[in-house]
Amino acid sequence: MTAADIVACLLPVCLTGGLAGWFLRGRSLSRVLPGSVRARREEVGTSSVSLEEVLDLLPEAAVLLDGHGALRFANIEAREAFGDALGTIMRYPDVFSAMRHLNGVMVKASAEFVLTVPVRRVVRVDLRLLPEVLATGPAHILAILTDCSERDAVERMRSDFVAYASHELRTPLTALIGFIETLRGPAADDPAAQQQFLAIMATQAHRMQRLIEQLLELSRAEMLEHRKPRGSIDAKHVVELVRDELSNLCAARHVQLETKATDIPVLGDQEQIIRVIVNLVENAVKYAGADGRPVRISLSAEHKVLLGRPGVAFVVQDNGVGIDEEHLPRLTERFYRVDGNRNAPASGYGLGLAIVRHIVDRHDGSLKITSRIGQGTRCEVWLPCVREARA
Amino acid sequence: MTESTHTVKSYEQELEHLGSLMARMGGLVERQTAQAVKAVVEGDEEAALEAPELDPEVDELEREAEALAIRILALRSPMAVDLRTIVAALKITGDLERIGDYASSIARRAMKLETEGNISLVGLRNMGHLVQNNLRRAIDALTTKDRDGAVAVWQSDTAVDELYTAMFRELMTYMMEDPRNIGTCIHLLFVAKNLERIGDHTTNIAERVYYAVTGEMLPAVRPRGGRSYPAS
Repeated sequence: MTAADIVACLLPVCLTGGLAGWFLRGRSLSRVLPGSVRARREEVGTSSVSLEEVLDLLPEAAVLLDGHGALRFANIEAREAFGDALGTIMRYPDVFSAMRHLNGVMVKASAEFVLTVPVRRVVRVDLRLLPEVLATGPAHILAILTDCSERDAVERMRSDFVAYASHELRTPLTALIGFIETLRGPAADDPAAQQQFLAIMATQAHRMQRLIEQLLELSRAEMLEHRKPRGSIDAKHVVELVRDELSNLCAARHVQLETKATDIPVLGDQEQIIRVIVNLVENAVKYAGADGRPVRISLSAEHKVLLGRPGVAFVVQDNGVGIDEEHLPRLTERFYRVDGNRNAPASGYGLGLAIVRHIVDRHDGSLKITSRIGQGTRCEVWLPCVREARA
Repeated sequence: MTESTHTVKSYEQELEHLGSLMARMGGLVERQTAQAVKAVVEGDEEAALEAPELDPEVDELEREAEALAIRILALRSPMAVDLRTIVAALKITGDLERIGDYASSIARRAMKLETEGNISLVGLRNMGHLVQNNLRRAIDALTTKDRDGAVAVWQSDTAVDELYTAMFRELMTYMMEDPRNIGTCIHLLFVAKNLERIGDHTTNIAERVYYAVTGEMLPAVRPRGGRSYPAS
């Protein structure tokens, strides 16, 4: 593995300056072996750096383990790219078995495996036994983590798309073909029937188009899920953009949309977060008014601490018909519909909330939907402000 | 190096070793659960065979961890947070071992399943994902001694209960629709029940982590989800 080899080559070079200076001062070798690199740095002066500092400079995700396989240090890239999945990765059984092969003779080992939670990921772990002079205290194994999810994600996307497309597109296509045959045959000379059939065909075709768009969006959300978002966006800006995007739809449906937001930077992918909020508001616009009462929707973004982590809660609240409690835990399943009727004209495809969940998972956030029949539905998306440095 | 610092050091090493044994157990049990869910949802036979194969290793680690915990109790007379950590460890290893058993039982059941296209496994896949994620977070909380993480796991078991209730309802519908579904649905019902039990043990782990870290107990009644539909 090239990345690990680069590190292995780089480390001695980085430390040589300091160590050479130290040897020139004629200290005895026995004093360098115990104690940490940091302690040595004090002896050497400013020309040496600690192993941790070197690792932080690397573009690769690197962690240090002790002899029991416990995580002792994770560099910046490891924390950014793998975040809270680091623990699961390092205690994966294959990593421990690979670690067992390391000894004085074998200094390299690796493992590659698939993780299913928090998001699906293919991870490769390359282990290197650090030479004694580099090992700081008990941490003497270097592990380089590589995310190999890309190919896996592309393959899954392809097979999923084929499965869903064949599943969901067949019915409207069969209908279209039926109408075309009727138009060419029995209805060839009946202009009134032709107009009627063409109108139905247009509706079906638009549904298919929208379905394909949603399927693509879902696939994209899945493809990106293993990559941690790194951008930063402003909560207030998001709310404004969503309001502008949906103002036409709200006016057409006679829905009143109220917004309230505070200026807070959120960690995330702007386009995706806007998709999430748009999806939630769109759902409210479409379904809340099913009983004909006027609908009021409020969209707010406010600071909220969730389990000790600072973040922003986007809340979409409507005063509509509500959703029966039994459906709530299953709303984010793909193709799950509350009304159970696939061909009801008002119903969507059951993909919107599935997309929302993938995006929220990617951002390490949380999605909470509560609802009371006849009183309305409340969706809360919470996203973290800044990533905490958890090792 | 004086004698006393030496003692302190090796005492700490023993505690660290205990922690690493539990992390390894956690890793194995996570893997078993993942394979069990995969076996059911994707019909993966290899995964179904692997989950029970890991059982002996989990048992071995449980014995090792227990022996070490008792040794520390006997020889070091640990106090305060250390004492709580060790008492919690004794119980947590039991929970982990049970989770492993449930996962193996799911995997074994998966091999008997014959799911034709008419029964949707999406709900079960969702439930499996949620349970696995809670388990992961509970073990993370255990290894990092994270109080907030433990509380988060403790609270999110309601979602597992709710999904279990939903699964119960859905499977019952399938059985009423067509009696030929009954065999498969009963197997799936047991799978859902076992996943729910894994969720309960995960909550126990979270409660014990909270106790070990803070010295306080979480309320005896945890938030429950799902209407009392299935008798559990």
